[in-house]
Amino acid sequence: MNLLNYALPVAALLPFFGAAVVASSARFHRAAPAWCSALAAFSALLVLIPAMSGVFAGETLIQSWSWVPSVGLEFAFRLDGLSLLFTLMILVIGLLVTLYAGYYLSAEDSKARFFSCLLLFMGSMLGVVLSENLLLLLVFWELTALSSFMLISFWQHREDARHGARMALAVTGMGGLALLGGVLLLGQIVGSYNLTEVLAAGDIIRSHEWYLPTLVLILVGVFTKSAQFPFHFWLPHAMAAPTPVSAYLHSATMVKAGIFLLARFFPALSGTSEWLWIVSTAGMLTLLLGAFVALFQHDLKGLLAYSTISHLGLITLLFGLGTPLAAVAALFHIINHATFKASLFMVAGIIDHETGSRDMRKLNGLMKYMPHTSVLAIIAASAMAGVPLLNGFLSKEMFFDQTVVASGASSWALAIPVLATLGAIFSVAYSLRFIHDVFFNGDPIDLPRVPHAPPLYMRLPVDLLVIVCLGVGMLPALTVGPLLAAAVKATIQGQAPDYSLAIWHGLNVPLLMSFVALLGGITVYVFRARLFAWNDRHLVRIDARVPYNAVLRALIQVATAITRRFDRGSLQHTLAWTMGPAGLVAVAGFVSMDSPLFGNRTLMDFDPVALIAFGGLMLSSVLTVVMHRKRMVSLILLGVVGLLVSLGFAKFSAPDLALTQLSVEIVTVVLLMLALFFLPQHTSGVSSRWRHIRDAIWAVGLGTGATLLTLAVLTRDLSPISDYFVENSVSGGGGTNVVNVILVDFRGFDTLGEIVVLSIAGLGIFALLRNIHLHASLTDMEGRAWSTDSHPVILQTLSRLLFPLMLLFAAFVFLRGHNLPGGGFIAGLVAALAIVLQYLGNGIQWTSARIRTDMHRVIAAGLFFAIATGLVSIVLKFPFLTSTFTYLKWPVVGKFEVASAMIFDLGVFLVVVGATVMILVELGKFNLLQATKPGKHTKGDD
Amino acid sequence: MIESLDILLSVLVLIGALFVLLGSVALVKLPDFFMRLHGPTKASTLGTGAILTASAIYFSGHVDGISLHEVLITLFLFITAPVGAHLMAKAALHLKLKQLERTQHITPEKPTSSR
Repeated sequence: MNLLNYALPVAALLPFFGAAVVASSARFHRAAPAWCSALAAFSALLVLIPAMSGVFAGETLIQSWSWVPSVGLEFAFRLDGLSLLFTLMILVIGLLVTLYAGYYLSAEDSKARFFSCLLLFMGSMLGVVLSENLLLLLVFWELTALSSFMLISFWQHREDARHGARMALAVTGMGGLALLGGVLLLGQIVGSYNLTEVLAAGDIIRSHEWYLPTLVLILVGVFTKSAQFPFHFWLPHAMAAPTPVSAYLHSATMVKAGIFLLARFFPALSGTSEWLWIVSTAGMLTLLLGAFVALFQHDLKGLLAYSTISHLGLITLLFGLGTPLAAVAALFHIINHATFKASLFMVAGIIDHETGSRDMRKLNGLMKYMPHTSVLAIIAASAMAGVPLLNGFLSKEMFFDQTVVASGASSWALAIPVLATLGAIFSVAYSLRFIHDVFFNGDPIDLPRVPHAPPLYMRLPVDLLVIVCLGVGMLPALTVGPLLAAAVKATIQGQAPDYSLAIWHGLNVPLLMSFVALLGGITVYVFRARLFAWNDRHLVRIDARVPYNAVLRALIQVATAITRRFDRGSLQHTLAWTMGPAGLVAVAGFVSMDSPLFGNRTLMDFDPVALIAFGGLMLSSVLTVVMHRKRMVSLILLGVVGLLVSLGFAKFSAPDLALTQLSVEIVTVVLLMLALFFLPQHTSGVSSRWRHIRDAIWAVGLGTGATLLTLAVLTRDLSPISDYFVENSVSGGGGTNVVNVILVDFRGFDTLGEIVVLSIAGLGIFALLRNIHLHASLTDMEGRAWSTDSHPVILQTLSRLLFPLMLLFAAFVFLRGHNLPGGGFIAGLVAALAIVLQYLGNGIQWTSARIRTDMHRVIAAGLFFAIATGLVSIVLKFPFLTSTFTYLKWPVVGKFEVASAMIFDLGVFLVVVGATVMILVELGKFNLLQATKPGKHTKGDD
Repeated sequence: MIESLDILLSVLVLIGALFVLLGSVALVKLPDFFMRLHGPTKASTLGTGAILTASAIYFSGHVDGISLHEVLITLFLFITAPVGAHLMAKAALHLKLKQLERTQHITPEKPTSSR
């Protein structure tokens, strides 16, 4: 097994495993989360290194495994030049951010949570850029939205953080939905979801009638993620995130995911006038809007956020122009923007950290306090402005050059270079403001803290990034050349155009535009006072949150209105909506059926005992309804109904069901008894007579319908699939109890799903009950106080005596389950009852002091056993959950059979025990809390 | 031999059935809660015990080895039934349910009517 054949999935999934490790690492050392997460990122990088040489040579590495072939989903990964460029950005900047964040976060922040979310995000991003299968890409795409939500809202106590995170999730989530639609259309057009086929089918896609909807849907996904106009507004609000998150997500990675997709689909979708118009218009508008608004931001991070929007617009515009050389410029600018913007965000974080403010009206003259950091920031900001000898200059020149080329198309197109220069002028102006306002311009004005230089390791990542800015700016061909070449080749999927990465191209129009931009920017900055005044008068009131909230409110109103029509909080109403349509369908079926209602199967003999039992069943059901105002009585009657049903199962040869029903019945009654403690002991009549009649008609009608339907089915000769199970039970599953073999073997996957649901339900109830406060009365309805002897000694003694006996019975039921009625589920219920009986008889404190095992762990162990059984069969190259069995001979006991499904059944057993005991004991604890004096909320010792 | 075993089994089953019936009748007919409590607990324990004994003997002759399920069932029943009755009696005492005068302090000079 060559590990390199798994390099790509391993690299993409490593951060996810790392996240789990990081989450639990904080208990060992304060700095452990940062180190673990750096280690995870670094090992992901190491895993990919052997594959890189081939990619630099222009190869595309694809590693794929079939997953759900019927829908075209493959577990397929791809590493080409474009993926490599993004992978390196994600991992290298991720490592720097990890180092930086280790010093940025304060002692109160949970580092474990931060770094595990960061790793989750890193893994999702890697998944996006490394996916070969588009459906897989979508999964990772959604994961980036979710993990970035958790990162933006990291400071959960801050309202702006929660709002910003919700807005980002809503906008990008909507985009994700649109992208899903687009990708599905694309897959339908091409006939495959694999990028290799999609990229090769550009001509088919462009000439297809679905091209426009596909393009628009995909672009909505791209524009929301990359904060393009008109979806740009979430990015400034996402600045409520901790600054390392902004440096990582909002400069280098997440907002570039949309751009990545543009580059990815460049060969498949570009080259049409629709692409040109939509993409370049959105890009141009975003470029201008971002650059213009950035100038007026007083918040350091706000300026950087709008500047990011503007630069993303620039890259989008370049892709929109659609020429190969424009794609080169776009890719080059992606690298440059990531480096200078990440370093600028980190500087903003340093300033915030060391001075306590990000307001540029207060921050002045920091050059004196932190000269080293200031120099770094000045270099990075100059790169952002496009000053020669820095990396931003080179890509901006290429951008100008492409706008000039595009201007030749028509007289209207002449506007493109003009507008681009205008954007660049503002870009220079806000960069200048960043430099001048923060580091010069007098002295700081009442800052919360006296500024001082940052710790070395907080500055180190900025040092490295600025060195890259300088290195790429001065020696582009040597530093970034090979990577860019590989990325260009992968993006264009064909012959790469001729381009030169030189600093000096001679005196030409782009150079002139650069100088105009520099001079213009300085002029704008010098006369900024007037502009600011004008902005304060006219524009400052424009707030994207207003229309956003209006749209959101309208959506919620519509959703609420629709929900209210179906669910008015009345059980009768809801039942009428679900049962009514079902009844209508049944009636339609009865009416349109031309064969007789009942079949001609020979009926069973008349059985007086069963008849009496069922008479009792009907009577007690009716009585439950009639007596429903006396809750205790109706609960007892409900128990009678359950017992009679289990007798019915026993009578008609379903002993497994009978046993299950019996134990479930007991658990239910105990549960309801615990709940009744908090309910009024009798209900007053609130329904009118008319409603009673109406509901009775409903009930009788539906009951009759269901009976007729059952009879119609049962009186016919069908060939059910149960014959198959009965025939194959022994040969295929090694057990004679067909029910149990179905549960643990034939339909093991269903059972696995069910126990997962049960676990989640248990945990959900646990979580719901944690912080709930109810008031139970201290007396019964006739004013008599509860008995003070809550644990009578006879019950105590005998319940302890019963405990081993009940466990013995559970073990018996469990062990014989594969061949005779029984099994993990029933045994689990019996064992749970044994434990619950101890709680009831001896009290919670006595029992929890003796049963120390946390039920969460029991559930986890159960799920582990069940899933491990399935995984073992995968390792042995059988389908998931394939079971095997063999016969063993043991002295005294004799020959008996051992099935691997038994371990699975053990998992079922543990989950049932854990969930049942947890639910009942939590409710019981709850009662205990209420029984103690109000205000004295003692925690149960667990 | 077989016949005498059959007779024994029949007697056991009949005793069991009789006591279960008596228990049920008692539950319906006896006048106050504490008296009613006797019916199902005492009589039904004996009745069910007899039926279970019969079952154990019968199945011991029909399967390999001795049939021990019934012993376990009897054990469970003998543990749980008295505890249940005890708890109910405690609850009734706590709630001060009405008791018949004549079951309380019997004074021969002043006979009391039951209802």
